[in-house]
Amino acid sequence: MKRPKLRILRIILVSLLIVTSSGLVFGGWYLRRLEETVAAKFEGQKWRFPSKIYSDSHLLYVGINLRLQDLSEKLRRLGYHESQSQPKARGEYRLQPSRGLLEIYLHDFSYPAEPFKGFPVRFSLQGTVITKIENSTTGEELFSLELEPELITGLYDRVWEERRVVSLSEVPPLIVKAILAVEDERFYHHHGIDPTSVVRATWVNLRSGGVVQGGSTLTQQLMKNFFLSDERKFSRKMKEAIMALIAERKYTKDEILENYLNEIYLGQRGSQGIFGIWEASQFYFSKPLSELTVGEVALLAGLVRAPNRLSPYRSPDAATKRRNIVLVKLLDDKIITRKQYEAAMRESLPRRELIKVTNDAPYYVDYLRRELAENYSNDVLTAEGFRIFTSMDLQLQKMAEKSLAEGLKKLEAAYPALRRQGEEDNLEGAIVVLRPQTGEIKAMVGGRSYQKSQFNRVFQAKRQPGSIFKPFVYLAALMAGADGGKKFTPVTMVEDSPFKWSYDGQEWEPGNYNDEYFGTVTFRRALEKSLNSATARIARDVGIKRVRDIAHRLGVQSSLPAVPSLALGAAEVTPLEIAVAFSTLANNGVRTRPLAVKQVVDSDGGAREKRDVRVEKVLTPQIAFIMNHLLKGVFDRGTADAARRWGFTRPAAGKTGTTNDYKDAWFVGYTPDLLAVVWVGFDNKAKLGLSGAQAALPIWTEFMKLATAGTPVTDFAPVPGIKIVEIDPLSGQLATPNCSYVLREAFLERDEPTTTCPLHPGTPPASKFD
Amino acid sequence: MQGCAPRPLYRTIQPSTSPPASSDKASPATTPSPLPEPPRTPLPQEAKIREQDLQTRSPITPPAAKETTKPAVVTPEVPTGPLPDDSSLLAKITPGTSPQRAASLRLTEEGRKLLEAGDASKALSRLEKTIVIDSTNPYGYFYLAKTHYRLGRYKESLSFLEVAESRLSGEPFWLAEVHALRGENFRALGMVDKAEASYAQALRLNSGNRTANDALARLQGQSEATSR
Repeated sequence: MKRPKLRILRIILVSLLIVTSSGLVFGGWYLRRLEETVAAKFEGQKWRFPSKIYSDSHLLYVGINLRLQDLSEKLRRLGYHESQSQPKARGEYRLQPSRGLLEIYLHDFSYPAEPFKGFPVRFSLQGTVITKIENSTTGEELFSLELEPELITGLYDRVWEERRVVSLSEVPPLIVKAILAVEDERFYHHHGIDPTSVVRATWVNLRSGGVVQGGSTLTQQLMKNFFLSDERKFSRKMKEAIMALIAERKYTKDEILENYLNEIYLGQRGSQGIFGIWEASQFYFSKPLSELTVGEVALLAGLVRAPNRLSPYRSPDAATKRRNIVLVKLLDDKIITRKQYEAAMRESLPRRELIKVTNDAPYYVDYLRRELAENYSNDVLTAEGFRIFTSMDLQLQKMAEKSLAEGLKKLEAAYPALRRQGEEDNLEGAIVVLRPQTGEIKAMVGGRSYQKSQFNRVFQAKRQPGSIFKPFVYLAALMAGADGGKKFTPVTMVEDSPFKWSYDGQEWEPGNYNDEYFGTVTFRRALEKSLNSATARIARDVGIKRVRDIAHRLGVQSSLPAVPSLALGAAEVTPLEIAVAFSTLANNGVRTRPLAVKQVVDSDGGAREKRDVRVEKVLTPQIAFIMNHLLKGVFDRGTADAARRWGFTRPAAGKTGTTNDYKDAWFVGYTPDLLAVVWVGFDNKAKLGLSGAQAALPIWTEFMKLATAGTPVTDFAPVPGIKIVEIDPLSGQLATPNCSYVLREAFLERDEPTTTCPLHPGTPPASKFD
Repeated sequence: MQGCAPRPLYRTIQPSTSPPASSDKASPATTPSPLPEPPRTPLPQEAKIREQDLQTRSPITPPAAKETTKPAVVTPEVPTGPLPDDSSLLAKITPGTSPQRAASLRLTEEGRKLLEAGDASKALSRLEKTIVIDSTNPYGYFYLAKTHYRLGRYKESLSFLEVAESRLSGEPFWLAEVHALRGENFRALGMVDKAEASYAQALRLNSGNRTANDALARLQGQSEATSR
C-alpha cells in the first residue's frame, strides 16, 4: 500500500520540479528577451524621423505689393499670430494699414548651412506696397527679406511624430526639476518601480474595481511609450514594471531621463504629433528651451499628464489651472523662489489660433515622392528626417485647387449632361502652374479629389492636345524662312478651304469646326481662330517632321508620330509637357527644366541634393516674341476673348485646345511671369462635348485672376531685331489712314511689309511706324 | 533651397547713397580708364549692337581652317579702346528703375559678392531669385553663368551666357564680359579655338576686357612655349 503512495508523491515532486525548472527556464528566457528588447531600443534607432516637405520661401522687397489678405493668411499658416501691441516675441505680428505699418517678429529657421535667428522687422507701406524695410532693433535698412518656407506635409510611416532630439545637458535644470516634481519626484531614489506609488495606486484601483490610477514611475512611462500600448491590463503593467527594472539596471538615471524628455507626447498639430520637450517648446512658445520663462516651464511640465486636454490652445482655463498647480508644487519644493512664483503666476498664456497642418497638396506631394524615389527609398524618407525644399507656392496651390474644384462644379451645373452617377467616371480636370523663367512648378492639381482618385493627370494622363498643339505648326513656319524654307510672317495669306493631304499612299482631309471655312486669311487670323484647314496647309508647306521637331525642342517628350494629323494635335501628351513647351515661349525662347524638388537636406543640415535652375536657349528671342505677339491675339480677338469679358485684362498669350471628338478641352495661357495649363475631360475618354474655351478657359481665367491680383502688370518685352508696324489685317499690308481696322504687328526686321494697303489706298503717316 | 532663410538678403549696400563707381551716364572724360585715351568708341548708351551685328563684324575663324596650323592667337581686326567700367550694378538703380529691377539688381550684387567671397553655393540660390523677380535682368543671368563656371559646370554656364547675351542690348561692356566668360568656358572644355575666338570678340567690343586680355596672353605664352 505504501509503494503506490510513494510513487504518486514521487510523480508529484518530479512534476513540480519539471514545472518549476521549466518556469525558471522560461522565465529566464523571457527576462533575457525583454532585456534584449530594452537594449535594442536604448542602443539602436529609437525614433523614426519623418521627412518634411516645404514650400518655396516668400521674397518680400521694397516696391512689392504685399496683397495683405494673402500675407495675413500666409503668416497664420506659418504660425504667426496677430498682436495688438508691438511684437515682442518671435511669431508675433502687427498690421496697421491705416498707419502704413506692418511689423513682424520673424521666427528662427534652420536652413542648410545658414541657420537664421529671428528678429523684429518693420515694413513701411504706401497702400499695400512696401516702401521701406528695417530691422526694428538696430534700425538697419534692408531691401529684401524672405519669409520662411511653409511646411506642406511630412513623409512618415503610420504616425507623424515630430521631434528634435536634445541631450540632457541642453535642457535647463529647471525644466528637468519641474517635470520630475510633477511626474516622479522620487525618480532618483527608486529602481524603476516605486512601491509607495504602487501601493497607493493599487488601493485606489481595488476600491474602484478597475485600473483608474497609475503608480507609474517615469521609467515605467518610458517603457510603456517605447514598447507597449495604452491598455490598462495587469499583464501590461507587469511587463512595464519588469522592463523598467531592467532599464534601471542596465542604464543610468540620466540616460533614462534624457530618453524620456525626448520621447514624451506633448500635443497635436493636425496630423502632426508633438513629441519631446524641444518640439513642444517650439510649438507652444516659438522659442528654444533656454529661453523659456518659469511660467512656460510650469505649463510644459503640466502638459505631460494630458497634453490635449490641458493644451493652452484648446483649454486656456484648464491649462492655467494646471500650470498654477505646478507652480505651487515648485514653490513648495523650493525649486523656485516666491518672487519667481509670483512673476510666473502673472504670465499670460500663449494665445493663438491652433493651426492645423492641412497643407497636404496631395497631388503635388505625389509628384515629389516620385521624383524623390529615384534617389531615396521610402524607408529612408520616412525615418531619416530629411527636409525637402520645393518650388511650390502654397498660395498659388490653394488658388489652383479652388479654381479647379469650383470650375468643374460650375461646368456640371451649366451642362447637366456632364454629371455622372458613379464615382469612377466623374468629370475630371487638372491644372499645373509654372514660373517660365526658372521652370519652377509653383502649383499642381492632378484631379478633382485625391480621396477618390490618386491618378495625377498633370503628368500621368496622356491626352490628345487638339488645337493647343497648333502653335508648334506656326512656330515651325516662322522659323522655316530662316532655314531656307518658305517664308511665313504674321501677315502671310493662307488658304482656309477644304483640301486633301496625300501622304504615304493615304489621304487626310482636315475639316474646320462646323464645316465653316474663311477663304484667304492671314497667318495670324488662322491661329487666333484656330482654323484647322489653314493650319494643316501651313504644316504641309513647312513639313510635319519640322513641326514634330519643334515640339520636341520646346520640351514635349512624348513620342510624336510625323503624320499630318499631328498638326491638329492627334498625338498624346501630358499637361506638364504642354506647360514646359509653352513656358519656353513665355521665357523668350529659353527652355527650362521643370523644377519641383529644389534641395534635400539631411537631419544634420548637410545638403544631400540640390537641383538648380537649368536653361537652354532653343529659339531666338525674336521668334519667341513674334509667337507671343500672335498668341496675345487669341485673348484679344480669338478663341479666348471671353477671358477679357470675365475680367482678365492684363497682357497674356494663350491657346485653346479642343480635340476633334470633343473628348479633351485644354487651355494654356501665360503672362511673362506665370503660366498655367488647364485640362478638362473624362478619364474613360467619354465625350465631353465642350471646347477648350467653354470648359478649360473659365478655370484658367479664374485662377489667373486670383494669382495675378495686385502683382505688377508686365508685358512681353520687345527685343532688338523686331519691327512693329501698323497693318491692315484684311490685306496684310501697311495700314493707311483710310483703313478702318488696324493692327500692330511684329516682324523680324526687314520682313515687315513695304507696300500700303491696296484695299484702302492712302499714304501712311510716318508717325504710324515704330 | 540653400540660403533661402527669412533673412535680410541685402544688408550692407545702401540704396542711393552709395556712390556709384561708374554708371551708364558716366562720361568718358570723368571715368577712370585703365589705358591712355583710346580711339573714339561708342558709349554704352549710344551703342546698338545686336547679336547678328557681332557675327557679321567678327567672324569666328572656322576650326577646320586652323587644324593644319598650330593654334594662333586671334587679335582684333579693328582694335577698339577700353570702355568705361560699367560693372557696378547698384549704379544702374535710378529713381526710374522699376522695383522689380531694383530688387533684382541688389540681389545680383549680393550674389556677385558671395561669388567673389568664394561661396558659389549661396551665390547660386541668391542669383536664381534675381531672374524670378525680373527675368529681363541680364546681369542675373551673367552671374549665374559665372557661378556655374566656378562650380565647373561649363555647359550650364554657356547656356546662361546665351540667355544673358540675348537680354543685353546696347551694352558692349557687358557683351564683352559675356564673350570673355564664354571663352573661359570653352577653354575649360578644351575647345581652344572657340575660346580664342570668344576672347577676340570680347576684345573687339572692349579692348580693356581684362579676362580676355589675360587669357589671350596666357594662350600666346603657351603657344610660344610649344613652338620652342
